[in-house]
Amino acid sequence: MTTAPGLPLEAGDGAALVARGAAVVSREELRRRSDELAERLRQEGIGRVMVVSDDPVDVLRAIDACARAGADLWVAHTNLPGAMVEELSREFRVQLQIGAQDEARSVAAPTADTEPATDGDGAPQARIFMMTSGTTGRPKVATHTLGSLLAKVRTSASVSANREGRWLLTYQPTGFAGVQVMLTAALSHGLIVVPEERSPQGFFEAARRWEVAQISGTPTFWRSFLMATPPGALELRQITLGGEAVDQATLDRLKERFPTARITHIYASTEAGVVFAVHDGLEGFPKSWLEQPVQGVELRLRDDLLQIKTPNAMQGYLTEAAQPLLEGGWVATADRCEIVGDRVRILGRQDSTINVGGSKVYPLAIEGFLLGLPGVVEAKVYAVPNPISGALVGADVVLAPGSEPSEAKKAILARCRAELATYQVPRVFRVVDAIQVGTSGKKG
Amino acid sequence: MEKQEILSAIQKLVADILEQKGLDVVTLDASTELLGGELGIDSLDLATLVRELEETTGRDPFSEGFIEFRTAGELADLYVR
Repeated sequence: MTTAPGLPLEAGDGAALVARGAAVVSREELRRRSDELAERLRQEGIGRVMVVSDDPVDVLRAIDACARAGADLWVAHTNLPGAMVEELSREFRVQLQIGAQDEARSVAAPTADTEPATDGDGAPQARIFMMTSGTTGRPKVATHTLGSLLAKVRTSASVSANREGRWLLTYQPTGFAGVQVMLTAALSHGLIVVPEERSPQGFFEAARRWEVAQISGTPTFWRSFLMATPPGALELRQITLGGEAVDQATLDRLKERFPTARITHIYASTEAGVVFAVHDGLEGFPKSWLEQPVQGVELRLRDDLLQIKTPNAMQGYLTEAAQPLLEGGWVATADRCEIVGDRVRILGRQDSTINVGGSKVYPLAIEGFLLGLPGVVEAKVYAVPNPISGALVGADVVLAPGSEPSEAKKAILARCRAELATYQVPRVFRVVDAIQVGTSGKKG
Repeated sequence: MEKQEILSAIQKLVADILEQKGLDVVTLDASTELLGGELGIDSLDLATLVRELEETTGRDPFSEGFIEFRTAGELADLYVR
């Protein structure tokens, strides 16, 4: 490897890096804690680490120390249930869990197929494994390296345009988007502002206290943030929207409220990272982008579905892939598009995935959960369009004979609220006599 | 429907949501900020509320896109015919 691995955090640099409430962690403090961890990894010969924490300090400390000590790092998504984290920890033979307390674990010796990958020169290159969210079923695990993650951040223009920015962290710090925001701040000498409470009011109070000027969030986040933020309370320089397709009305409201901010919406995929960014305040992207590469990326439509070809594609999946890789390096997305004048509009997913405020809900998984509850004999889960969150989860359920519908509904919803993530809970719930089955034998 | 009727409907739907979440039911009026922190509802709860208001009133003021609102009164105004 030619460059020193790790994040650009210098000893003696007292600038704040992470702020939460009134407390801050400086760049040198993070450097010191990361040095300690890297030293422990080297001394104890630890090569397999998992960070289990929603504190950005722990996530950054783990990323930096593992890159420098050459250890593979799994980032456990905050939304995963504890039992699943345990199972993955065992399966990947994690030797150390990073969190509020770092915890050594006893594991069997690694086998050949789990040895670290090597780069072109044969030197070991530590990998970073990121997980999809979701409390039902196993998460998908995507493989990156710190180098590939930083390359994506560097090319995203957020770094050069927002030197010493103050970023509000609206995403979970353990997800891909959250890590991107944190790495952007680390690279551009910026500040990561963490809300004490993940509510519209909590986000607003954190933004006001630290005079945040840069915010990246989903369109759903922005719609609720607009409602919690009085006019004139914040002076934003950079507004970024991602995670779901954005509509023109939301872009217009943001422009009206924050007239001097640059408004960017980004298109990203799990496979390719950030694919392109649009800054002109219009939904979709220019049709001319289908004819010539833009921002190093080629775009094309096939059967109205967007396909992309990018040099930043991730290195592969540890588990099964979500999107098929086509001949010639093209990735087929499931995003349906239409051309309107000189613009390409993104209409949403072609598959049945429900996007609730930027969080993906897989109907089959929720149907499986409902079917596991007492008294439920059939279930169909579907998207209900919604102006606030893009979509909500709807569920039709057929009950076993003899069940009392209103009692059963209450009991089922109580289990959903207790055992599913809030965005997965059916908000529209109907008890029905039967669910229509199509000619293919699938639920229509 | 009159604004007052719609405000009552909002009060009832919010009360249902709070009860389901195991929170204390709060009385709201036209000036209550829906996401202002007093009520204890989040944006997904608000999404649910809007969906149920559509069923109650038979109107969908958001059919052309998102319209901004902050208070219960501003939301009620969107449904007044």
